[in-house]
Amino acid sequence: MRLVPKEIESLWTLFTAPAVWAAHFLLCYVGAAVYCAKRSSWGFGFEWVRVGIGVATLLALTMILVSAWLAWRQWGFGAQDPPHDRPTGHDRRSFQGLATLLLSGLSFVAVIYTAMPALVIAECNP
Amino acid sequence: MKAQSVAAYLLPVGCLVAGCSDAQSVLNPHGAEAESIALLFWITAIGGALIWLAVVGALIYAGRRHRKPYSQASAARLVLWAGAVVPSILLAVLLGYALALIPDLRPLAASADDDRLHIEVIGEQFWWRVIYHPPDGQPVVSANEVRLPVGERVTFSLKSTDVIHSFWIPPLGGKMDMIPGRTNTFSLKATKAGIFRSPCTEFCGPSHALMAFTAVAMKPGRFDRWLANEGKEAVNGKPGLKPFLANGCGACHAIRGTEADGAVGPDLTHLASRKTLAAGSLPNTEDAIARFIAEPDEVKPGVRMPAFGMLPQDEIDAIAAYLARLE
Amino acid sequence: MSAADMHEDNTRKAQEERLRAAWMAPRGWRYFTAVNNTRVGLWYIVTAFTFMLFAGVLALLMRVQLAVPNNSFLSADFFNQTFTLHGTVMMFLFAVPIFEAVAITVLPQMLGARDLPFPRLSAFGYWSFALGGVFVCGSIFFGAAPDTGWFMYPPLATDPEYSGIGADIWLLGLSFIEVASIAAAVELIVGFLKCRPPGMRINLTPLYGWYVLVVAGMILFAFPPLIAGDILFELERMFDWPFFDPERGGDPLLWQHLFWIFGHPEVYIIFLPAIALLAMIVPTFAQHPIVGYSWIVLAAVGTGFLSFGLWVHHMFTTGLPSISLGFFSAASEAVAIPTGVQIFVFLATLLAGRVVFSVPMLFAAGALAIFVIGGLTGVMVALAPFDWQAHDTYFVVAHLHYTLIGGMLFPTFAGLYYFYPVMRGRMLSARLGKTGFWLMFVGFNVAFFPMHIAGLRGMPRRVFTYPDEIGFNVLNLVSTIGAFVFASGVLVVIWAIARPKRNEPYAGRNPWNAGTLEWLIEMPGEDWGVRSVPIIESRYPLWDQKNLMRDVDAGRFYLADAAEGRRETLVTSVLDGDPVQCLRLPGPAYVTILAAFSLGGVFIFLTYHWWIAALVSGAICAVCILYWLWTGTAEIPEKREKNVGLGLTLPLYVSGPRSVGWWAMFITMVGDGTALASLIFGYFFYWTVHRGFIAAAAGPGAFWPIVGIALFAATWGAMLGALAANTRGSASGQRLLLILSLLMAVLGSLAGLAGPWTHAMTPSSHAYPAIVWTLVIWVAVHGAVGAVMQGYCLARSLAGRLTRDHDIDLRNVVLYWHFMLVSAVLTFVVVGLFPLAL
Repeated sequence: MRLVPKEIESLWTLFTAPAVWAAHFLLCYVGAAVYCAKRSSWGFGFEWVRVGIGVATLLALTMILVSAWLAWRQWGFGAQDPPHDRPTGHDRRSFQGLATLLLSGLSFVAVIYTAMPALVIAECNP
Repeated sequence: MKAQSVAAYLLPVGCLVAGCSDAQSVLNPHGAEAESIALLFWITAIGGALIWLAVVGALIYAGRRHRKPYSQASAARLVLWAGAVVPSILLAVLLGYALALIPDLRPLAASADDDRLHIEVIGEQFWWRVIYHPPDGQPVVSANEVRLPVGERVTFSLKSTDVIHSFWIPPLGGKMDMIPGRTNTFSLKATKAGIFRSPCTEFCGPSHALMAFTAVAMKPGRFDRWLANEGKEAVNGKPGLKPFLANGCGACHAIRGTEADGAVGPDLTHLASRKTLAAGSLPNTEDAIARFIAEPDEVKPGVRMPAFGMLPQDEIDAIAAYLARLE
Repeated sequence: MSAADMHEDNTRKAQEERLRAAWMAPRGWRYFTAVNNTRVGLWYIVTAFTFMLFAGVLALLMRVQLAVPNNSFLSADFFNQTFTLHGTVMMFLFAVPIFEAVAITVLPQMLGARDLPFPRLSAFGYWSFALGGVFVCGSIFFGAAPDTGWFMYPPLATDPEYSGIGADIWLLGLSFIEVASIAAAVELIVGFLKCRPPGMRINLTPLYGWYVLVVAGMILFAFPPLIAGDILFELERMFDWPFFDPERGGDPLLWQHLFWIFGHPEVYIIFLPAIALLAMIVPTFAQHPIVGYSWIVLAAVGTGFLSFGLWVHHMFTTGLPSISLGFFSAASEAVAIPTGVQIFVFLATLLAGRVVFSVPMLFAAGALAIFVIGGLTGVMVALAPFDWQAHDTYFVVAHLHYTLIGGMLFPTFAGLYYFYPVMRGRMLSARLGKTGFWLMFVGFNVAFFPMHIAGLRGMPRRVFTYPDEIGFNVLNLVSTIGAFVFASGVLVVIWAIARPKRNEPYAGRNPWNAGTLEWLIEMPGEDWGVRSVPIIESRYPLWDQKNLMRDVDAGRFYLADAAEGRRETLVTSVLDGDPVQCLRLPGPAYVTILAAFSLGGVFIFLTYHWWIAALVSGAICAVCILYWLWTGTAEIPEKREKNVGLGLTLPLYVSGPRSVGWWAMFITMVGDGTALASLIFGYFFYWTVHRGFIAAAAGPGAFWPIVGIALFAATWGAMLGALAANTRGSASGQRLLLILSLLMAVLGSLAGLAGPWTHAMTPSSHAYPAIVWTLVIWVAVHGAVGAVMQGYCLARSLAGRLTRDHDIDLRNVVLYWHFMLVSAVLTFVVVGLFPLAL
């Protein structure tokens, strides 16, 4: 038995990875903004916000990798090259797999970009 | 199309030859922040120019009639490498570089007990109220001119009483908005002496274009002497003071050492020592002062100051002569 | 000719007669009641271009004023109106509507569909846009135009003394146009997902369609925050609710957030459809299929998402924490990746093919050369430190014009030259096109490149003049000369399009030898679009499917006839394009025009505070919309099924998720939910930045919000019961439950209002009571609309138009109530229970 069925017949799986990016982005932004706006009322320092961002980033990257792997599988592990333009269900699914895989790649890079500020910025200034 | 852009690149050179001023230029850095941003600019601008040449070169090559078409595979490789992988890496490096600048450029705002000079600037339609808070000493109120010592990091607290303005001394560093209900704090460090024009950079009403201040970066010793003088009272007893007070000017303007103690408009105690008049919109001469008293709304549309053109010309001239000597 | 051939010929002629009669657009004085996408699209394009020329004239006025220092050609006041209107009109009345205009015109053609699924909605959107646009533009002739810049920052724009009626005109006029945009978005999403031809699986759709899907989706999430912001803004201006007044707990920055959450995606809403045109043009002129179809999908979808993480880069100088700047800087760099991918896909396609340099390709190449500069300066200003220097200077003015003119105007001109034969059956003059192109290209660079330098030399934007001797003179004079050269180029192209062409021959079929379905059209085109709806087996069917055009023309595919004299198109499944329904479309109507004009009346009368007139206009609008729904939707067909040709029989009536109306409701409610989420964002924004925000006033308490939740939950339950009863065939049970739920919906709305009412919360005293009132009023209004829907279902049931087998209305209303329940629970938890948790 598979944990995730081999084919989810839906257009929306395409948006999984960018949705993870969006959730991660929002979490980082809102978390840091609320912390810094009320910086005097917390019992912990800004470094814990950075740690939190790190944890969220690892989580997001893992989710994107899972989505990428599922997409890779749907694409048939690259058994066939694009353009996937024949009028068959097989090509349609391969196209979806490839497009999802590419989006996972972009989202992966974008999540790493989002986490970069937390590496260099160590305080709530100004 | 190439010739176009080259011509445009040559323009600043033409401007230099023609001898135009750099008093407001980002690329004429006199401060720590402006220097590091100018470097960032040159790196990205040159890199960008090379990328542009490569893309347009490829476009022109693609349009040539006699060439072998790319195979599907090599065209797809072009998309993967030139379109995705290389840009991702380049952008990551650039982003890392720029992010790493931030902590140095905008270090933690001054806390109450540090020994930096602290300058409070309040934007009002369409002028700047400037209050110097030296680490040891009384606050000094001034207007429409910001002076700061070279080599020291100076903290600015920026406020507004009416609409959003933005504070910017281009040769020293980036800008920061002045937002009603908020106090924005940041700091600047001048590295070379100079005189700069500093425009308001958030649209704030009819005379937004006429709202600027002069920034002067001076040697620390000279700055201290200047500030000591700025804190003194005005020299009293000139004939123009009487009409100044009689016509109610003192209700809005303060001249320390006289009965004029209004806080609505700019402090005039040392007006004559300033480089410009009316927030950078007129030269600081006696004639210009007289004109501004008579028709401020002609000079600056939407200005709060009422026109005093109905006064007899000799009274206006007397007031102007008085103000022009308030060093 | 044999007898059999003669017979076939006669049959075909008779079919064509019937099709022509069914699809004929009205003529004479009823011309403007047409709803055909070809007509509405054409009006839309012409209107949008008229607004563009108007805003262009404003730009030239500004350039004359700035040609020399200390100029007095325009007064400061008029200059401020000019740049505000220039930005506003270009953004809201040209750039976004031209997307809707072109998409409405060509998308159905590309999909081999006869029309979009809701033609009357397109027409309604068009009339709203035209009226709102004339209202906003006209204001300058009375010196009453908005004058605070197109992003309307409070407190300058909320100050009634300074901004006069102009700000109201901006807010209400544009809110009205935003309604039109959302209508178009609903239409286009459903059109792309459900109205493709049989066999056109999701991997075979034209790339333009992907872009339309993404852009329409973005509109759905980007426009509602602005609408929410507009509501707060107008409440402050009309009733003194202090949302942006810092002295009473408000904050000017909230507007900036809401505006740019809209404003940055909007840039991509403008840019992507234009790139979509290039994605159609480039393969045609390379005579090669696109290389990297999946990459384009990646880029479109990726940009759509990332563009929502950019908004704060317009606020880098507002004093936000460095880390926040970092996040938005990062996303702003990341969005350059998909943008670069698209450019390299085009390059790769050109390299893989052999390029034919016709006028559309010339504009496309010029677009890329210009846009790449805008993209690269975009990468620069996305770096927070550089933006601290460049922000609000002419550098940004140069950057945004390079992106928008390179990324939008040039591609749009390319698209017009390219698609003109589809729209009007003739080719445009290549000679005029080339002249116009070079004037535009050279003029543009001469005008805008020096602005980069002016900005770096410290010239702030939005200045009506500048002093001599600070190094701006030469640069500005050159810009002004360039602007006039550019304008002359635009005029040449406009002349090529607008000049009379009565005596010129029609173009041949598929004149550019393109591969996609819109080129099936006859020259000149018939109102029916395609003669028969083909089965698709390729991304470029005209290149790959032999004899496709001949077979389509011969009516050998689906819907070759209009036997019942009705307008019909096919509805297919989302992924594989399997036919699922034969959809009947409504024809010409006055009611759409009347609905648009009465809705416009509401907005216009509110500007002048003519409350009674606004109320009457609103009532007329409500009646129009109900009449429109009653007579034009969920019609019960005379038979269950219909033979659409090739032995395929399809149902004429489907409901629930299989019907287009259900999707439209779903999509609309997503947008509606986004607006509510934006208001709730406002609530938490205040809570975050202002200490003691919630303690500022007593109320609304927990009791009434909890009662509200209970009542709305009961309403929702009763609606589910009504649907279940209807499905069982129990009309009386269904009606009883509808009445019950209607009552509870009204009570729930009242309970929500009772919270702040019983605590005597005064909205003008502080932002806290103001936002609480706004939220509960939002829910109450939605409850009331839901109650009207329930009443409508009841009436339809009593009139025999809603039965066990014909339950579109009921299912759509149940869907509305799913969203409504979520909205109500969310709102009441926030206003009632969140304060207790603190």
